[in-house]
Amino acid sequence: MTALDERNSALTPRTRPARPGNSQRPHGSLLLFLFPAVALVGILLILPFLFTVYRSFFRDNGFSRSWVGLENYTTLLTDDIFLRSVLNTGMWTAGTLLLPVLLGLLIAVGTNSVRWGPMARFAIVLPYALSGSVTALLWNFMLQTDGATNAMLDSLGLSTLERSWLLEWPMNTIVMIIATTWQATGASMILFLVGLQAIPAETIEAGRVDGAGGFRLFRSIVLPQLRPISVVVIGISLVNSLKTFDIVWLLTRGGPGTESETLALTMYRQTFTLSRYGYGAAVAVILTVIVLLASWTYLRRQLRTN
Amino acid sequence: MSATTRSPAMTRSTPTIDRRTVLRWASGLGAAAILPSCARGTLTRAAPGDDVTLNNDNPTWAPGFESAGEVLRAKTGHGFAIRAVPDVSSYQQVVRMSAQTDSTTDLVKWWNGYRLQDVARAEIFADLTAAWDEAERNGWVDPSLRESFSYDGKPYAVPIYQSYYAVFYSRPAYQRLGLEVPQDWDQFIANAQALRDDGVTPILSAGASSWESLIWFQQLLIGLDPDFYAALTEGAASYTDDTAQEAMAIWADMYEQKLFSPPDSQVTELPGRFAEGSVGMNLHGVWNANAFAQAGVDEDTFGLFLLPAVAATAPPAVVTESGALAVTVNAHKMTEALEVAGAWLDTDVQQAWVDFLSDLSANPSALPPVQPVQDLAAQIEQASPVLATRYWEASPPVLVEGNVEELSAFMTEPTLAMAKSTLQRMQNRADAEWDRWSM
Repeated sequence: MTALDERNSALTPRTRPARPGNSQRPHGSLLLFLFPAVALVGILLILPFLFTVYRSFFRDNGFSRSWVGLENYTTLLTDDIFLRSVLNTGMWTAGTLLLPVLLGLLIAVGTNSVRWGPMARFAIVLPYALSGSVTALLWNFMLQTDGATNAMLDSLGLSTLERSWLLEWPMNTIVMIIATTWQATGASMILFLVGLQAIPAETIEAGRVDGAGGFRLFRSIVLPQLRPISVVVIGISLVNSLKTFDIVWLLTRGGPGTESETLALTMYRQTFTLSRYGYGAAVAVILTVIVLLASWTYLRRQLRTN
Repeated sequence: MSATTRSPAMTRSTPTIDRRTVLRWASGLGAAAILPSCARGTLTRAAPGDDVTLNNDNPTWAPGFESAGEVLRAKTGHGFAIRAVPDVSSYQQVVRMSAQTDSTTDLVKWWNGYRLQDVARAEIFADLTAAWDEAERNGWVDPSLRESFSYDGKPYAVPIYQSYYAVFYSRPAYQRLGLEVPQDWDQFIANAQALRDDGVTPILSAGASSWESLIWFQQLLIGLDPDFYAALTEGAASYTDDTAQEAMAIWADMYEQKLFSPPDSQVTELPGRFAEGSVGMNLHGVWNANAFAQAGVDEDTFGLFLLPAVAATAPPAVVTESGALAVTVNAHKMTEALEVAGAWLDTDVQQAWVDFLSDLSANPSALPPVQPVQDLAAQIEQASPVLATRYWEASPPVLVEGNVEELSAFMTEPTLAMAKSTLQRMQNRADAEWDRWSM
């Protein structure tokens, strides 16, 4: 009898943990423990979402409302501002998936086993400790037309490179993605670092014994073992990028005009600035559906593979 | 039983605290903290004693309201308990939602013109006919202002202040170049060109991502034809008409001549930049004089003048902006709030208010202790300009908000082609929003 068989036989049916799918009905106390979490999610998330869906079928200015069916949704699809918003959100998703995640991984791998690593990591993590508003203030100081970046380019004799960084689309969206990268890379790096340090040294040694080194070692030994943490980092980045709001609001307020608006800003402007609650609710529903679909598709695929 | 043997009861009576006790206490304290705040928000609770609550979107005004409230208390027996929500969008939502319930403040600060009509027609504000009648009887207010505080023939608010859009100019910069306050449009442009040639930013003009993009649009329109501006904002003229095209062409030309700062400049920079003489002028609401006072800038640093008309044939005109003080229909202390609204324009109350605000009152007898603002009041009295309602309040809010964004976009690309497409989009929005407004 193997050690495993012995351990199994020692477990009486009474003490053996129930398996998922077990036909036993959950004990009453279990339901009691589940209740706070289910109630919180139900009351604070599901019910408001259903109410938002319901509200999106109305023309509503806060004082009076009238049923308009799908009109808010059909108007959205022909609204240039909304379509620009979708495009900007797409740029944010691509940019923040590519830059902070990739840079975080590279920096984590590059500084994991070198002597000056902690110093470098500290410098990268520091911006992550700043609040969004401080970050925006700092970047606003640099990116204004009369700001530090243009002043520096001018003093270096590179005045041809001067730009109205926050006033021209798509430049404004790109520089805001870079600002976010500056702040968010530290978080990705920490998570990748945790993943790296959890990799058993034996697997690396085995790889080296088999002749792998450098990039080959990274690609075939390290990267596959980083997969669980990558799922988390990419999943978080995906959701965060889809609901980008604060830095855009603080740096350009979605402007000039509405050129740099993301879906979250369009939702906010329609609802809270223009008091068009029905239209804003329709944007909110579409944004929620996009976030849920993207997260579900990604996580389902990744978790199933794992 | 020996003295050293403890009964179970004695064991329980020892002062050890088990986890359940801690949890019970924590739950009890948590509930005690949370439940009262569920009963009624601190923002909307009735004021103690005889005071009335006033909600507004500017927390920095609290000392001014307190000091005006002291005078009001002496006259009516009611002072202010001030509430504030600093973000304008949030503030508007708070008022729109809470005024429909009994969780409202007694008085609220609002805007005049179409922004007032937008909510007055939902019947959330009380009729202030009696307050206006009394103010007019006592000569506290110009009766011509009444219309912009009315909906369907009844006034629903009284003016909180009466600000004008005038040019702030840097006295150090003007003195260094030997410039005089301009008497006509050509002289104004010549001054701006002189400042530019000296390396000074001639006119600071913000608005890339704020409402301030409307300032030069409205000014150029009233400078060409105040009647056209009135017709345009009432939906009786088109944004594609010649006058609007001409205004945009002049604006684009001024950009072409490099007379404006970049549109992402901030008006908050102004006091410092005036003091160092690196900015020459700024067209803005006179209420911004308060920023100079708060920054500790000497009154000799800046002056104010009314911008001359652009067209030689146009009468003198000035844009005016008024905050509005309204009483909510669900006020906890309706009678007291109406008394306060009735006494708000009293000269003594207004004097206490403008002493803090550094801006003008709707009551012409109350002047702030700021010399440049007093000088401007004298200019206005002498010139008797046509008063034009600020664009922000002069048309339906959704139309204005959308068009202001178009103007912001124009400021970042101020070309003639952009001007034409901007006006067309503004007119398209006007067509749609005027239809919605009358629904």
